[in-house]
Parts: sequence; structure tokens; C-alpha cells
Amino acid sequence: MGSAVRRTLGRLAGALFVLWAVATLTFFAIHLVPGDPAQAILGGPGSQASQEALDRVRADYGLDQPLLVQYFAMLGRLVTGNLGDSYALRMPVAELIGGQLAGTVVLALLALLVAWLLAIGLALWSTGPGRASRAVAQGVELTAASLPQFWLATVLIAVFSTALGWLPAVSTGTPTGIVLPVVTLAVPLAGFLAQLMREHLLIALEQPFALSARARGESATGIRLRHALRHAALPGINLSGWAVGYLISGAVVVETIFARPGLGRTLLRAVELRDVPVVLGVVLLVALVYVVMTFVTDALSRVADPRLRQEARP
Amino acid sequence: MSELEVRSTVTVEAAARPLPRFGTVLAGLFVVFLAVAVIWPGLITPYGPDAIAPRDAFQPPSAEHWFGTDESGRDIYSRVIWGTATSLLIGVTATAIGLSLGLLLGAIGGLGGRALDFAVGRVNEVLFAFPGLLLALLVIVLYGPGPVTATIAVGLSTAPGYARIIQGELRGIRSSGFVEAARVLGHSSSGIIRRHILPNALAPIAVLATLGVGQAIVWASALSYLGLGAQPPAPEWGAMLSAGRTYITTAWWMTVFPGLMIVLTTIATTVLGRAITSRRGGAR
Amino acid sequence: MRSAPASVRMNRRLLTLLAAASGATLLLSGCTAAAPEAASTPTAGGTLVYASGDAEPDCLDPHVGGNYPQALVAGQFLESLVSLDDDGAIIPWLATEWTASDDGLTWDFTLRDDVAFTDGTPLNAEAVKVNVEHLKDPDTQSSTGYLALGKVESVEVVDDTRARFHLSTPDSALLESLAQPWVAIESPAGIARGMDENCLAPIGTGPFVVEEWVQQDHLTLMRNDDYDSAPADAAHEGAPYLEGIEWRFIPDSASRYAALQSGEVDVIDNAQPDTIAQATKNGSLVEIDAPRPGASNRIELNSSRAPFDDVRVREAFIRAADVNDGIDSLFFGTATRSYSVLSSVEPLGYSDEKLFTTDLDAANSLLDDAGWTTRDSDGYRTKDGKRLTLRFPVSTNQSIPAEQSLFEQIQATAKEAGFEVVISPLDISGWYGALFSDSYELVSAPYTKIGPDVLRTLYDSAGITPAPSGYFANLAQLNDPELDELLRSAASTSDTDERASLYEQAQKIILGGFYALPLYDQQNHFLLSTSVKGARAMPTVSTPTFADAWLAE
Repeated sequence: MGSAVRRTLGRLAGALFVLWAVATLTFFAIHLVPGDPAQAILGGPGSQASQEALDRVRADYGLDQPLLVQYFAMLGRLVTGNLGDSYALRMPVAELIGGQLAGTVVLALLALLVAWLLAIGLALWSTGPGRASRAVAQGVELTAASLPQFWLATVLIAVFSTALGWLPAVSTGTPTGIVLPVVTLAVPLAGFLAQLMREHLLIALEQPFALSARARGESATGIRLRHALRHAALPGINLSGWAVGYLISGAVVVETIFARPGLGRTLLRAVELRDVPVVLGVVLLVALVYVVMTFVTDALSRVADPRLRQEARP
Repeated sequence: MSELEVRSTVTVEAAARPLPRFGTVLAGLFVVFLAVAVIWPGLITPYGPDAIAPRDAFQPPSAEHWFGTDESGRDIYSRVIWGTATSLLIGVTATAIGLSLGLLLGAIGGLGGRALDFAVGRVNEVLFAFPGLLLALLVIVLYGPGPVTATIAVGLSTAPGYARIIQGELRGIRSSGFVEAARVLGHSSSGIIRRHILPNALAPIAVLATLGVGQAIVWASALSYLGLGAQPPAPEWGAMLSAGRTYITTAWWMTVFPGLMIVLTTIATTVLGRAITSRRGGAR
Repeated sequence: MRSAPASVRMNRRLLTLLAAASGATLLLSGCTAAAPEAASTPTAGGTLVYASGDAEPDCLDPHVGGNYPQALVAGQFLESLVSLDDDGAIIPWLATEWTASDDGLTWDFTLRDDVAFTDGTPLNAEAVKVNVEHLKDPDTQSSTGYLALGKVESVEVVDDTRARFHLSTPDSALLESLAQPWVAIESPAGIARGMDENCLAPIGTGPFVVEEWVQQDHLTLMRNDDYDSAPADAAHEGAPYLEGIEWRFIPDSASRYAALQSGEVDVIDNAQPDTIAQATKNGSLVEIDAPRPGASNRIELNSSRAPFDDVRVREAFIRAADVNDGIDSLFFGTATRSYSVLSSVEPLGYSDEKLFTTDLDAANSLLDDAGWTTRDSDGYRTKDGKRLTLRFPVSTNQSIPAEQSLFEQIQATAKEAGFEVVISPLDISGWYGALFSDSYELVSAPYTKIGPDVLRTLYDSAGITPAPSGYFANLAQLNDPELDELLRSAASTSDTDERASLYEQAQKIILGGFYALPLYDQQNHFLLSTSVKGARAMPTVSTPTFADAWLAE
């Protein structure tokens, strides 16, 4: 019991460290980047900010303070749970992110689900009988995994929206509007998952229990189906933390192409405008989700795989 | 890049499953073709990569222009071939950067004591908690766009994935039966690492590397889409793919051929990678 | 056409007028002309969906900051004191008449007495005074509107409908400045709510009212049922036919076009050349070509230091850079080559094609004369061991793909003369960074403003001195006291002929000194579904207006 508490406290300290380090890295990285946030706040193309306005903006946002002062001010704010105000949008970052969160979460979860279903199908196919069909399945997996999302999205729009007219290209209001974005995110992911699953499946099929199941007269498909699902579980759990980063990166591209509101687009725009509080806010949120996910998945995999319990990992 | 992390649980035996020999031969031939394209692109191309001819813009594939022409009338086949060197360089170098960093972190974490393992774990988590694309974007806005920064950016954002996989592999090997046996037999730790752990860890790393090259090219192309990739007029597959996307409804050939090269390269290197590791598979 | 921008403009505007009058579509000169549709009666109702490729504004009040994306949307709910007609003449809008004193220092504007803002506040001289003060207040963070009112010192309320502007120096561009959407008149009560609230939903007198703004998604605009303050050239009076507008932001051009094709949206802006050609050829969509006023799209040559401090090198670059074939093939006939630093919609624009004919031999001998005689192994010219390198930062937010490709073609043709052009695609902040740190030899920067006074912004030597912020608009860093004098006199003269002559002399200096390579007008193409009728671009800064628009079955 004591060791469990200690481990939990250790993890908690680790999580705080991760959040602090991420905030610090992001803060300094974005301040090293050339570009004047005050200029960005005041306009953009074709506008010419007056000196008074610039001075005012710098004073308003504390941009005239030394960097370290700004850094500690930021840390101070973060400790009290205040993410600050967006430079560009003049609204609290928490409110801004709150408004964009749902879209990305729904998109990411659906994409993950679809990717899993596709991957299971592919894995079953590629471990099926017949060398030729196996080779084709592996080709499909590798192709899927090599498709850049921005390209896939354009092709999907050209085919399903422009040519066939089955699905809307950019409509956020309708339930069908999410189909193409989800497929775009899911297909490359499915390619990876399928490769991963196939390997696990193949190992499982060589295990004694699979052989004995065959000997008991179970069908090959039956065995593959059951084992495919069971063996997908563990890597799936391990994957969840990692998927956060992947999906956010993917969301940047997908949300831009399909004009969906969300964290990815918010992040891209904030980087372009050097909107430090928003970049920090999004990154911290992603880090937080990642930390929580790792924590949960660690606990889950301990439950799922007894061997891990013996290895006392921090 | 972090996609690679999912492979952490892939074991040597499974990855080494043999593929049809026919495929291996084809893959080998394709890699030879790539090598020629890298070393002597002029030998197999009818035009220079930057030779513009605005009046010949947007021509579909023909006997004269096998892969058609782009928006400036440049021959896409020639650009694809001349672009092989840059694209592979980005792919290979980025993978090498990611792998070496990953190897370093992973080895420290996987072979060192518990404290080191903990420290590396935290460093990894920090890197992992960063969305890969943001890391890449920051590197690029920091050092300006270009093939070098794109390579570094992609390399850096893949490193944590590799580190995890390698750390996992090493830990797995370390706790496996034959290492235990060697320890019982009284072999020194450095000897065990050199003779047993590293050779066994190499095979999965090779598989990772072959997969990583294609992925790195795809990643660099995403940066091009966001307007921050290779500098014009350098022919680079990812940049070509991204430039051609604008004209996808009117000139499909502008994206299909560079895209095909990326996919074929990924498949060929993966198939070869697996063939090689399957031959080494008996080592364990 | 090339040396007579006025006729080009007339042509386009006449067509526009004809089209609008017949209730048909807007056509563009020099491009495929669709057959005019039979006149149909406007039908009321329906919501128009507009998809903008411009950045989503940070603030809907164009007084704050002041960029083109703000002007696009603000034009739907805010109105200005004056407007322009299709010939570029000033026409009444919220102000019915105006007079200037003989010394040009006092201007009296008479306002309409029957107009109220959508919050019920009456439009009066006090409201104009509040707006001018709002624009001039540093707290407002205005940049474009602030500059437009640079010579306005104060506004005096003479009586309820008469506002008197006091100027520090005569300003021949005052009316043109006031026609811009960045100095539109807002409700004083709205302004009084403070910046945060006013940014979300500014209150004006326009045909629509901001109902809701879901950031990064869309803006809902509802019909102003009491609307009755259309500019003098509007097709109809009174409330708009449309019930409302859903204003969306779709940054990706391919998706934007796909959404229009599939009927998800009715109007898109920033249409790409290949899609315009495709859509107008098969008649499935309608195009409005509305080049922006002010400067043309041009590449500025940084003349402040080597190599472009030498006029021979500047001329050599311009002679070497071959752009005509590229414009033809990349823009599919949607853009016409410009030989002027002013937009073709500017009546006072002056062009000289001779200065820009491509001539590689001439370029080579000019470079030889200038001392760039040796070539290195890559074929680039060198002088004293230094390569003839031109850094060219390109904003990926501002330059559309076709333009970026054109720059690549310039890079390729300039290479033949021995120039190494290094193109760096940058995001908007990085691009500003490159300009402000003076690390460029070539740059293409748009500048939208009504009237030739834009020349003073872009080429007066006062624009070289960077503000402490780093900002400067004279990117060619043209420093010529004679030119400064011409531009300053032109800005303060009240004699129209003298003004025209001064601006012509000024443009001869700019073009003849090879400080800029004009490409084409600032492109501004809208594509509309065929069911959208009566929409037009405002003759002011070419933003679309839907006050007269309706959706046909």
C-alpha cells in the first residue's frame, strides 16, 4: 500500500515536472522566433501600426518587460490556473480553448475508433491464407500509412464531395460533415495500427494455445478473429497516450482543410501570430491530456498484463 | 513520427516474417533505380529539373513528358528523378537524427539504472507531450524554412518515438532468458551488452529505420503544405505533392507521381528491411 | 489598354453596371463573357452563405487595427460618410454634401438627418466627432484608419447634421480616405461599450446586423429591417432582400471551391485562377473580378544598398525577369500584366510598358557595366568575390500559389542573367520580421488604399525611417527629394489637373528608376453560385456588398 502511494506521488511530481518543462520550453522557443507580436496584434497585411498604438499594446500585454519578468509572470499566472488572455483575440485563453475543444475531441475519438476498425480488418486480411492476398494487404497497409493527410483530404473532397456529391466538403453543421475529416485522420493511422496488430496476431498464432485450438477443431478464421481482438487490446492501451500528439498534429492539417473549428487550427494560427498565451494554453492542454492518459494506461496495462506488475517501474 | 512508437512491441521474430521472394527482388530493383536517380539523375532524365517553359504548363502525361508538366512547364518526371536525392536525404537524415537521439536516450534509459531510466522517462514525456508538428513548426520559424531545417525539425520530433521503442526493446532483451543465463554464467555487463543485447536490438532498429524514411518524407511534405517546406525551386517530392494539390482537379498528374514515389520508396525499403532482418532472425 | 488604365476601368465598371442593372451577373473585361441572363424580379428571403479565404478578423471593428479581412466583413454592417461610383467619383452616402474652405483646412460635411444606428442611436454630427476621436485615440489601436485621418486635427459639431473637420494641412485625399471602410461610422453608444464588446459586434447603419460570432467557425449577420441609407449608386433603396448572411472562414482554397461547387456555400472570395477559368468556362458559376485600388501587385527592389543601389543592376533585374508568359499560363487569363505601380482602377495611374520589356542581352550588358563581370561555378555573377544574391522573402499568407510559382519563374529567368534569387516562404510574422530587419533585396507587399496618395505611403522617403517598431512602408527604400516634393504637393493641391500632372511626374520617376517590377492588379476574384443575383463589389476597396442581392430559385 505504501509503495502504491509513493508511486502515485512520484508520478504526480513527474507530471507536474512535465507540465512545467513543456510550458518553459514553449515560452522560450516562441520568444526566440523572429516576429513581433505587437505588430501581429495590430493588424497584418496592409496596415501600419502607429508608434503610440504599439507602445500601448506592449504596455497592455507586458511585452515591454524583460523576458524573464514575462516568464515568471506567466508561471505565476499558470500556478493560479490562469492561462491569460489571447494577444490576437482579446479573450481569455481558457474560454477560447474551451470553445474549440469539443470539435477536436469528437474528431479525434471518432478517428481513433474508425482507425481501429479499419486496422482490425486489414490485420485479419493480411494474416489470412494465400501469399498473394497477404502481399496485397501489406501493400495496402504501407500505402495507407504513407498517405499525407493533406493530399488524402483533397482527393476525398474531389471524389466524394465534388464528383459524387455524397458528402459535404466543409459543413460543420450537419452530422455528415465529419465523415471526410474522420476518414482523413483515420486511414494513415489504420495503416500503422494494422502493421502493429498483424505482428501481434502472427506471434499469437504460433503460440501453443493457438495450435491446440486448431487441434480442437476451431476454424482458422475463428481463432484469428478472437485473437485479433484480444491482442489488439494491449498495444491499444499503450497507444492511447501517444495518439494524443498524433491526433493534434493531424488536426492542424485536417481542421485547416475542412475548415473545422478546433484546437489544431487554433494552434496553427497562434503560432503564425506569435500569440504566446494561446500556444502555451494548447500545448499545456495536450501535455496534460498526455500525462493523464499515460497515467491511466500504465494502470490499465498493469491490470491487463500481470507480468508488468512485477517490474517495479517508477 | 511518433507513429513509430506503436512498433515498440513488435518483436524481432514477427518483423522477420519472410515475404514473397518476388517482392523482394522487385523492391531491390526499385532501390537500385533510386540509387541511379541519386547518383546520376542526368543519365535517366530528358530535361533539367528547373527548366521552365511557361507555355508548356499543365500538360498531361505524354510521350514527350512521361509524367506531364507542372504549373511552370517543368517536366515532372525529370523533377521527380532529380528530387530523389533531396527527398531521400531528408528522409534518411531525419530518420538518422531521430534514431541516434532515440538510441542515445533509449540506451541510457534502457541500460542504465533506475534513476537514469526515470530521468530519460521524464525527458521523453516532455518531448512526447509536445505535439510533433508544433515542435517542427517552431524549429522552422526559428531557423527559417529549407531542407536542412525541415530535416532537423522532422528528426527532432521523431526522436522520442524511437527512444521509447528502443528503451522497450532493450528492457525486453535485458530481462530475457539468454541474458539472464549469461549473467548467471558470470559474463561482465559490458560484455553482455556488446555480445547479446546490442546485436539483438539492431534488427528492430533496422526495421524502424526503413519505415521511418518514407514517414519522414511524408512529414516534411506536411510542412510544405503549411508553406514551410523545401525552398523553391528545389525539386523535392513532398514539396511537389503540396504544390500540385492546388491543381488536383485540373492536373492530377502533378501530385500522383511524386506521391507514388513516396509510397513506392516506403514499400521498397520496408520490404527490403524485412528481408534483411529475416535473414538475421536466427541470431537470437 | 496598357497605357490607358482609365479606359480599362471604365470598361469593367460599365459592364458591372450593365450587369447589375439587368439583374444579371457581373462580368469581367477581357475574359469569357457569359450571356446576360433574362432580368428577373428580386425575391425576398433566404440566407446567403459566404466563404472567406482571408484570415478571420481578430476584431470586427475596422477601427481597431484595420486590415482587408476586417473591411470585407465590416462592409456588411458599417457605412462610411462618402462612397465612390463606378467612375471613381466621390458620391454621397451618410453625408449628403460637403464643402471645403479655400485654404483647404476646413471641411463641412452635411449628414443625412433620417438615419439611425441599429441600436437606435441617431446618426448626427456628434456621432462623427466620436468616431474620429475613437480612431485617433491610441487606445483604439487603429493603424489604417489612424493614417487615413492623419491630417484631421479635430471635428467640430456645428449643428446636429453638420460636422466640421479641421485639418492641419490641406489634404487632397480626404474624401478618398473617408470612403474607406476603415473609417466607417459606428454608433457612439456601441463604441462606449469598450473595445472587447465592440470588437465582437460593432453597431453601424448598414444593411445587416451582427447577430452572432462563433470564432473560427462563422459569423451570423441578420437583415436590418429599418435599413434605408444605401449609397447613391445602389440598385435599390430600403432593407435588403436577404434575410441574413452566414459568413464562414474556409482558409483552404481547394476546400472553399469544393464547397461552392457542391452548393454548401453561395459565394467565395480569393478564388484561384485555375478554378475561375474552369468555372466560368462551363458556366456553372459566376465571377466578379474586382481588383483592389491603391497599389498594383509589384515586386519592390530594395535600393538602399548593393546591389540595387545601382540603377543598372535594378534595370538588369527587371529586363531579365520574364513574367508575361508566366502570368498567361498561371493565371489563365484572369490577370492582366500591369506596367504601373498603381492599380488599374486608379484614374491617375500611369504606365509605361517600354520600361519592362524583357531583354536578356540588355540585362547582361548592364550587369557587365555595373562591374558584375565574373561568374562562379554555378553560373551566378560575382563582384569582388561576392555573389549577386537577391533575398526574396515571400509571405505564404499573402501570395497565392500561382503567384509563388510566378516568383519561381522569375527566379529561373533571372538566373540566366546571373542573379541568384533566394526565395524564402515565410509565415506572416516571420515575413514582417524579414522586412523589418531589412534582410531582403526583393519583396512583394500588397497595399490597398483609395487614391494615388498611396504613392506617398509607399515611396516618400519619410517611409524609409523605420518606426521604433520596425515598420516602414517604403520597401523599395526610394530616397529622392524631388519625388518627395512632388508627392507632398500632390497631396495638398486642390487643383485636379495639377494633382494629376504631379502624380504622373512622380510615377515617371518611380518607374524610370526601376524601383519596382509591376506584375498585375491586386487580384480580388469572387465566385458566385448562379442563384446569387444583384451582388456587386463596392467601387471603394472592392469588398462585396449584398445589400441589393437576392437568391433566385
